[in-house]
Parts: sequence; C-alpha cells; structure tokens
Amino acid sequence: MTTTATPPPRTARATATPPEQRKRGQRGGPAYIFLTPWILGVVLLTLAPMAVSLYLSFTDYNLFDPPKWVGLRNYSDMFTADPRYWRSVGTTLLYVVVAVPLKLAIALGVALLLSNTRKAKGFYRSAFYAPSLLGASMAVALVWRALYNDGGTVDELLSSIGIHTGGWVSDPHLAVFVVALLSAWQFGAPMVIFLAGLQQIPADLYEAAALDGAGRWRRFVSVTLPMLSPVVFFNLVLETIQSFQVFTPAFAISGGNGGPADSTEFYTLYLYERGFTASHMGYASAMAWVLLLAIGAVTLVLFRTSRSWVFYANEGA
Amino acid sequence: MTPPSFRRRAVLGAAAGALFAPLLAGCSDGDGASTAAGGKVTLTFAWWGNDDRAQRTNAAVALFEKRHPNITVRTSFAGYPAYVQKLATQAAGGDLPDVAQLDYRQISQYAGSGTLLDLGPYVKNGTLQTADFDKSLTRTGVYDGKQYALPMGKGTTGIVYDATVFKKAGVATPQPGWAWDDWAEAGKKISALGMKGPNGHTYTGLSDLGVNEDAFETWLRSRGKELYASEHRLGFTTDDLTDFWTFTDRLRRAGVVSQARDTAQIGGAVEDTPMGRGIAATDFNWDAPFLGYPPLLGDQVHFAPVPTTDGKVGQYFKPTMLIGAGAGTQHPKEAAELIDFLLNDAAAGKILGVTRSTPPNEKIAESIGKTLTGPEKEVYDYGRTIAAHGTGAPPMAPPRGDVVLQVSFQRDYQRVSYGMESPRGAAEEYVAEAKRELR
Repeated sequence: MTTTATPPPRTARATATPPEQRKRGQRGGPAYIFLTPWILGVVLLTLAPMAVSLYLSFTDYNLFDPPKWVGLRNYSDMFTADPRYWRSVGTTLLYVVVAVPLKLAIALGVALLLSNTRKAKGFYRSAFYAPSLLGASMAVALVWRALYNDGGTVDELLSSIGIHTGGWVSDPHLAVFVVALLSAWQFGAPMVIFLAGLQQIPADLYEAAALDGAGRWRRFVSVTLPMLSPVVFFNLVLETIQSFQVFTPAFAISGGNGGPADSTEFYTLYLYERGFTASHMGYASAMAWVLLLAIGAVTLVLFRTSRSWVFYANEGA
Repeated sequence: MTPPSFRRRAVLGAAAGALFAPLLAGCSDGDGASTAAGGKVTLTFAWWGNDDRAQRTNAAVALFEKRHPNITVRTSFAGYPAYVQKLATQAAGGDLPDVAQLDYRQISQYAGSGTLLDLGPYVKNGTLQTADFDKSLTRTGVYDGKQYALPMGKGTTGIVYDATVFKKAGVATPQPGWAWDDWAEAGKKISALGMKGPNGHTYTGLSDLGVNEDAFETWLRSRGKELYASEHRLGFTTDDLTDFWTFTDRLRRAGVVSQARDTAQIGGAVEDTPMGRGIAATDFNWDAPFLGYPPLLGDQVHFAPVPTTDGKVGQYFKPTMLIGAGAGTQHPKEAAELIDFLLNDAAAGKILGVTRSTPPNEKIAESIGKTLTGPEKEVYDYGRTIAAHGTGAPPMAPPRGDVVLQVSFQRDYQRVSYGMESPRGAAEEYVAEAKRELR
C-alpha cells in the first residue's frame, strides 16, 4: 500500500472481495507464463526422467530390447547377491568419513587465517578459492593421478626421504585417500561460506571474552565455534551429500574402472558401470534410487543431531 | 541462515538432480550424423587397436578416398575397453558409425537388436565380394539367417616371448605341444635370474594370466571343458576356476608372474602389459596384437603356441574381429563399398598386412604371405603352423553377458592378486555373477 493512497472505508473493504485473494488471482496468470520455461525444464529434465528411472528400477533393461518387468529382483540382487555392491557402499562410506571432515577442517582453518588478513585480502581469497573452480574438471584429476602414480612427484618426494610407496594410485589401500586429498584440496567453496560466517560474529563477543581473560583457543572454542555452528552445519550437509556422489575424480584417477582391486569403486562409479558398461539400466536405476533414499536418510539424521549442537544466535540466551 | 526445512528440500532436490547428471551426460556422446554436402558423401569409420593398426588403416582409407573422390571417410579409433563402451552407448542411441569394427562378442547383441545393417543385399548385388572367403569364417557374421557382418581376419592366441631372455635362462624354445607346467617352469628359471626392468622393477618370467579370460578359456579347453555350455549356462564349475586361480596365485606368490600392481595396469594396449613395459619375459595374446611387441622390445620377440595339458590343445581360430555397418547409415552403398575395399582390394590388403591377423580373403592372404617379412611373416606362418598342427573345434559364439563377465573376470582376480581374496572366494563370486548375467 502506497503512502499517498487513502485507506478505503472499513465497510467497503469488508463487503468487497478480499484484496489478498484478488491480488493472487491477478498475479497468477503472468507469473505462470514466466515460470513456464522453468516448469518445463523441471518436468522434462528432472521429474520425467526420475519417474522413468523409478519404473526402470523394477525392470531388466539392457538398452537394446524393451524393458522387462522383474519386480523387486534388482533390489534383492543388490542387497543379497552382489558383493561388489556392498564393497562400493563401504568404499563410499569410508570416503565420506575421511574426506568431509578433512575438507571442512582445512576450509575452516584457512578461513580463520584469511578473516584476519589485512594485506592483499582479495588476492589470497581468490588464490585459495581457485582450486575449487578447477575442481570438477577431468584435467585436474588426471594431474592428480600423475602426481600420485608410481614414479610420480609425490612418490619421488617420499622416496627421496626413504619412504617407498610405489605410487598410491596402484595401492588398493591408499588409492581412496588420493581421491579424498583431491577433494580436500578443493576447499574453496566451504571456505568462502565460513569466511562469510566469521564476518557475522559480533566483535563485541570477542571483546567481552577477552576482557574476561579468554585466550585465543578459548575464544575459538567458546565464541567462534558456537556462533559458527549453523555455517558448519550447512557446509557439513552440503559436503556430505556431494561426497556420496563423488564420481569424476574417482573415474579419472582409477582410469575409469574403480581399480586397483575395486578400491576406488565408489557407489556412483559402480552405478555408471552397471548402466553404461554392463548395460543393466534397470539395476543402475535401482542403485540410483537407493542412493537417493540413503542420502536423504543421512541428511535427515544430520538434521536430527543438529538440534543438539547447532546454536542459532536468535534462539539463544 | 535459511530455515532447515527449506534447505533440506533444496538439498534433496539438488541431490536428485545431480544423481542423474552423469546419466544424462553419457547420452550426448556420439560421432554425429554423416552428411552429404554438394554431392560429397561423408562416412564415419571406427575401430579399436594400437597406433600401428591406426596408421595402416588410415593409409588404406586414404587410398579408398583417392579411388572415390566423392567420398570422405572420418576415422576414429580407441583402445578396446573404451571402444566397446562407446560403441555400446552409440548402439543404444541408434547412432552407430556408418562402418564399425566389431567384436565376435558383440554380434549377437547388436544384430539381435537391429542396430546393424543387413549386408545381404550388397553381397547379392556384388558390391561386397565374399567368394574368396573361408565359408565357415563368413558364417560367424550371420545372425538369424542374415549376414550382418564380415570377418576382418582369422586369428588365434599364442605366447609372446623374449628369445634372448629364454636363452639366458637356459629355457628351450617352446614347441607345439609344450605343457602349462613347462610354461611355469620357464617362468621360474627366468625369474631366478633376478633381472631388473625400468625404474628398478622386478623382472619376472611370466605375465599373470589370472586376469585374462581368454587365457583361462584355452587352459580350460586343454582340460576338455568350455567357457559356456549354452546361452544360459557356464561350461565349467567353481572348482575349475579355483584351480586356475590357485595355479596363477601360487606362481605370483613365488615371484614367477608379474606382481599385483603391474598386473592391475593391464588394459587394452600392449604398452600397458608387463611384457610391453619391459618387466616380464612372456605374455599371452592374440596373434594380431603380437605385432605390437617387437617395435617396443626388439626383434628377439617371438610367438609360440599356447601351452597344452598333456598334449591336448586349447587354442582355436576365431574371427579376430568383424566389420559391419550401422543400421541408421545414410549411405549404405558407400559403406558397403568401403567394407569391400578393406576386405578385398589387393592394394588395401598389402597396406593392412596382418594387422588384424590373417586376412579372410584367402587370395589376398596368400599373396601377401609371400611379401611379408619379420614379425608379420611370423604371424602368418604361425597361423599356418597352428592350423597344420590341429586345433579343437571353435566354441559357440559367446553369449550376451560375456562382455560384462570378461571385465568381472579381471576384477575378481585383481582382488586375489592383491591378497584381498582367496582364489576360491573370488571364483565363487564370479560364478554367482555369471549365473545372474546369463539367466
């Protein structure tokens, strides 16, 4: 309502059509027209493929012949008859448990350093953010593979101080950590979010804490961490979801086969293989749906636990 | 901060969207449609193989283009695993190259699903000549009574070995009829020399054949069994596979075959095999890829028959690869002309040599047999020796699931070679998967 308009008489207002309702009706038409491209996109590119994939998950579909209905067989095979499936679940969980905390710790550490920098602030922030811009690309993953390969830079460096690993990439116990390190190196996105979160913490809290004699560590634990916990939570959820879906780096580092000895056979990589190498689209679709539900469940658990450790300033005190 | 409920939904939505991103991305891959502009016809032609095969094939294609000024051929090639995967995606999208090299393993699936062009009419009208082919070999390209593909070569397996190293270790030159135990014994003697390869790698006598399904098949056949009993049943038991993997695993533990990390690098290319990398004295391979070894290692590399079990031969002849046309090709006549040229033209035959093993056209095979020298002559002579010595009847065409099982074979054994699984445990997993795959 504009300030110049005189408010209509009370009586008139009561008898006329409720203004909110009319407003909504008037806005609806054009709004939907403008929304059409987006709605089409969602329906055609997301919802319809999802519905088809749900259907396919109950079929045996090899891409060549029409899908054959097999009921729950894909799901029962997956859970009871396919050891490689469970190995891929184990590998993915190991990766999530290692990569997510590592990446968040590095992101928070660098964010803390950068939030107090005065000189060349922009330069440092860009420099630390850059790797995550390159992150999703195949090229970086290939460079990473070369670094950690037998005779690669890391291998040579370690050999020069007497540690002979013979290349992490070809060691089934270490290969998964190569992928985790690549992910950790791309800490730019959570770092930027942490930086924004750090700026929001009122300076007077630190002043008060300092007056009370709190040292650096004490201020970090009692002021920074609680005030930052919503941001930590946000990053944790995002990174966890992303880590469950890690694909490109594992594909590139293992040369596309999840090797050696299935040690980088992440869930999505196995899913891709079942679908596109083995032409079992039904099985791959079933895997995709289980992954979707599993990520949903993990996220739900994270939200539940968040009640006990995430502190919202407006709720507190 | 946004309220949790909103974020959860956004997050799940993003998750759902991203889940399918790789699936969508996979669909965009393709060679593009062939186009005719200004009377000019463009054909696409794809094959798998090494650089040598690529050079020869491109040279033959260039000659074809010279003879047919109105046809341009766009060629592409890749290593076997990448090629098979890409072709499967293209086939599913109905977008096969106009002309494509095919594996015996793919024929039933591709022909059965209508992704290949029926070459029958072109054979009938004389565009495609098959008069000089071995009839039984031509038949390998027939599915459901129709000629969907033609053989590009006739090949068999063998043991690639370094004669200099054999001599140094005091191992006799392998003769037809030598046994698997002789093979293991040769490996022990060579490994005992304690030689070193590049970067200080241990040099072993043998390549670990536990990852190789083809090697297992010849070993199995030499014991009187087959890989497949029917479309839906294996021709061997868990015990057979356990025996084979125990045999190779013991050799690995004794340091006679390549170690796990080197075995794991074996892919489609000769360059990635332990022998190709200069850290093993022998390898098991088909006769066409044998040609890749001498350029890497020298002329002391020769090709010997596959070992037998008590004199029973396991190796056999099969079409090394076939050639067919995509059902969706815009220029079937030109595609047939290209196929005919590659298979039947004398000049093309000379350029291609035995890069796809002995040519199927027997006249060309005979005429180039006289002109060949070095390793190529060895491949040609080897084929004749093996044929004369007698091989078992070839097995049935591999069933559909074989493409997948071949990969699983390698992976299941990798876990054995890294000591993460027992031969029996891996064999059980393989047989269980095979049952699901073949049902």
